[in-house]
Amino acid sequence: MKYMIMTFGSAEAGVEAMGREWMREMVAFMHRLDKDLRESGELVDEQGLADGSQAKTVRFQNGVPVPTDGPFAEAKESLVGYWIVDVESEDRAIEIASRIVAFVKAPIEVRRVMDAPPDF
Amino acid sequence: MQTNDRGPGREIRIEDLLRELAPQVLGALVRRSGRFDACEDAVQEALLAAARQWPEEGTPDNPRSWLLTVASRRLTDQLRTESARRRREELAASLDLSVPGEVSAHDDTLTLFFLCCHPSLSAPSQLALTLRAVGGLTTAEIASAFLVPEATMAQRISRAKERIRNAGVPFGMPPASERSDRLQVVLQVLYLIFNEGYTTSSGPDLNRSDLTTEAIRLTRMLHHLLPEEGEVAGLLALMLLTDARRAARTTADGSIVPLDEQDRNLWNVQQIEEGVAILTRTLGKVPVGSYQMQAAIAAVHDEAPSAEETDWPQILALYEVLERMSPGPVITLNRAVAVAMVNGPRAGLAVLGTLDRDDRMTHNHRLESVRAHLLERAGEFAAARDSYRKAARMTASMPEQRYLALKAARLA
Repeated sequence: MKYMIMTFGSAEAGVEAMGREWMREMVAFMHRLDKDLRESGELVDEQGLADGSQAKTVRFQNGVPVPTDGPFAEAKESLVGYWIVDVESEDRAIEIASRIVAFVKAPIEVRRVMDAPPDF
Repeated sequence: MQTNDRGPGREIRIEDLLRELAPQVLGALVRRSGRFDACEDAVQEALLAAARQWPEEGTPDNPRSWLLTVASRRLTDQLRTESARRRREELAASLDLSVPGEVSAHDDTLTLFFLCCHPSLSAPSQLALTLRAVGGLTTAEIASAFLVPEATMAQRISRAKERIRNAGVPFGMPPASERSDRLQVVLQVLYLIFNEGYTTSSGPDLNRSDLTTEAIRLTRMLHHLLPEEGEVAGLLALMLLTDARRAARTTADGSIVPLDEQDRNLWNVQQIEEGVAILTRTLGKVPVGSYQMQAAIAAVHDEAPSAEETDWPQILALYEVLERMSPGPVITLNRAVAVAMVNGPRAGLAVLGTLDRDDRMTHNHRLESVRAHLLERAGEFAAARDSYRKAARMTASMPEQRYLALKAARLA
């Protein structure tokens, strides 16, 4: 079963709040995590996203799609990166997320990818 | 390459032959050298070499010994490049310890089933290793079937082999005291592979149904190896009787068609007949197990000329036996459906009520979707709509979510 593990916020805020040393540790931590997930045969995909300030939101206005600068105004924190893992159970996905949370000390969202077989 | 005159039909036969020989060759090699992980790589290379060469040069007279020779050579090369001396000494030692006399290819294949489904492995690893070592699929094929990168699947397989090596699992049949439990694990793995084939939410559907076909092929293989095992026969029958409805289960756009609305002309008659025949041969001769019971229930559905003519009292009786045999909330849930069909939706809803406080069902969307159906049949449309919506939110299957959301919308 596949899960998407998502982090929210902004990298810039991270550096300002936590300092450069922490940033270095974070990079090392992410490398270790990446290596471990590759070695365990669980990593499907992982991506970091450009800062939310660079995002465009396409809205439906007056009957046509209209691109505007920036993420949703309503979104307090935008998506900064994700992992997709293929794991044995939800517990394992939560274990991976917990490892990240223990380091970044910010909430992480874990969601099942819709890959279950339907009933038959 | 079209340099030969044999055409695609011939190539398919080569592929089938290779798949059939893969576990036999691997088994023979492991039995001689005692090193499952290294042998598995060597056999995989031999299979790839055969897949390249045979279509062009023709299939050798003795394909099995061709593969064994090539795989042995690869194995020797591998061992030479590893920390050579120590490895060779180990190999010599393991050769001395090897069982004297000829062990049949059948026993080897069976042993491989048990090894790949070793309880020390996680379920995803058991599935991957079984498909590669017993099924003879390439890592790329397995990766594509599970929609993960090839590197990820390669790593998963190599980790699984490493774990087997570290656990010191010998190449041999599990002790008699563990055999029944270990066989259950093998059946569970085959069932999971089959189930994976029914995931149509993403990716190329063709690959997914290939997994279903592969699960049936492997279960058939196991059934030939263990014809007296009722549960192996039961699982094979269950797969055939379920897969027989494949063409009717979804519309062209991937939408789900529920059993009672399926066009029964699309059901695969040969597969139903085969499933029923296997079940008939088995029932009454061996202790009845839960796969056989599930297959029997599937057979009652498959043999009904129309949804209205389904023998629900018989299905209910079978579920009652099944529930006594292996009690669990999922069986109770299925029994509730049968109860509703026999005694009316309110009787079914009462059975569901007994599951509401079961923690194992808290995140199970099926409880809600069954409740929704029964509420709808009872004429409680508002409550049915709420249950459909709740079930739609809970399911992890995209086609099912669409189906449930549509059901809710129709009641709005």
